[in-house]
Amino acid sequence: MRKRTKINIDPKYILVIIVVACVVLMLVSFKFQEKMTPVRSAIGNVITPMQNGINKVGAKIAEQIEYINTVKNLVDENKELKKQIEQLSSENKLLQHDKYELENFRKLYDLDGQYESYPKVTARVVSSGNDNWYNTFIIDKGSDDGLAVNMNVMAGDGLVGIITDVNKSYSRVRSIIDDASNVAGTFLKTSDGCIVSGNLSLMNEGVIEITDIKGTANVKDGYAVVTSQISDKYLPGILIGYVKDIKRDSSNITQTGRLMPAADFSKLNMVLVITQVKDSEDLEEMLSK
Amino acid sequence: MKRYISMFLIIILCFLLQTTLFQNLKIANVSPNLLIILISSYGFMYGRKFGMISGILCGIMSDFIYNDIIGIYILIYVLAGYINGSAHKLYFKDDMSIPVFAIALSDLFVNTLFYTFSFLLRGRLDILVYMKNIILPELVYTVIIGVIIYKMLNKLEDKMYPPVEVPLDSGNNTGQEEI
Repeated sequence: MRKRTKINIDPKYILVIIVVACVVLMLVSFKFQEKMTPVRSAIGNVITPMQNGINKVGAKIAEQIEYINTVKNLVDENKELKKQIEQLSSENKLLQHDKYELENFRKLYDLDGQYESYPKVTARVVSSGNDNWYNTFIIDKGSDDGLAVNMNVMAGDGLVGIITDVNKSYSRVRSIIDDASNVAGTFLKTSDGCIVSGNLSLMNEGVIEITDIKGTANVKDGYAVVTSQISDKYLPGILIGYVKDIKRDSSNITQTGRLMPAADFSKLNMVLVITQVKDSEDLEEMLSK
Repeated sequence: MKRYISMFLIIILCFLLQTTLFQNLKIANVSPNLLIILISSYGFMYGRKFGMISGILCGIMSDFIYNDIIGIYILIYVLAGYINGSAHKLYFKDDMSIPVFAIALSDLFVNTLFYTFSFLLRGRLDILVYMKNIILPELVYTVIIGVIIYKMLNKLEDKMYPPVEVPLDSGNNTGQEEI
């Protein structure tokens, strides 16, 4: 055995050094958030491909399990579904009527064209955040695919979140149900403004918070909320969700409620990234002149 | 040396599993915190230095990939590793009660600190709701997974450094190296 020549420092002092270093690091990374990207990607570029691999294996296994389960459930489901069909066909007639109404409203807002004309890129969700406090996730497209910070992310036809960090091959998305997220929204029917904010304590119920609706606004449960024109990061006219439990605040000036997101957050696999950034900086420049 | 390499690989593996597989195995909307299990176990089994090293490693990965501000997780995890390492004196291989207790306390410690740092300071005061919805479910889930992982780590340790049988008459034990 070779003789060990170790420098023995009391772990106490190492701890103190690390704690000080961490505090400095926090301040530096807070101050120079944008310049930290190369450092981040150094680690992310190693980890994300591995996560991607695990996901692919996992998806295959999940597929097999699901196949077995579905066969079992299919028989029961079939019976139930037949019952539902009758019920639904009657409901459908009512909905047809509503749809006609909705189309009229869309024309009014000139939404239809805008919504579909946004250029979009599909991306796969690679991994979700490592704790239960935040709702961020990583997608497998980055600056190489033309993504940039502040691009909006959708799934199905609902808003999911916004890109907060872009690296070469992956980017980080903060979802709208995240506790730190705030989106300026507007009611499709009455065009009253409101703020949609994520709330961790409501997340178990599958809803998020909607606040700052004017007291005079005549809104009812079930109304659709879309992103607002005045939002500086979100493109206008993207469906966020449907409102419920509208309540008048004690001050009588504002109303608050809950919002059912239109996107299904429990099963996020593929998302659509709108590769168009809202240019609020140009606007601000114009206004400041 | 073998310990360092195995620790490094296991931490990366657990980080990968936690961010992919365990996010799909959520129960009551929470996933277990594998990293704190590792930090706590390593600190408890090998001492303060190992606790801190594993803390740094876990913290760096969590912070750099998922957080805006780098340093919060490193700080919390290193502290947790250090405190668990201080309990190394109580380490006895076949005893399960203390490590389970240590893992539970560490998880509570980490989550409470994290809540304070990034929720309380933003004015989210209803700590009881967060306790009920996140901290306690995660605690239970983590402890259950923690028992399994701790057992596996102990088995691995036996494989890497098989326990040396010491005859009763000779006094000097050379089995374990001092850390």
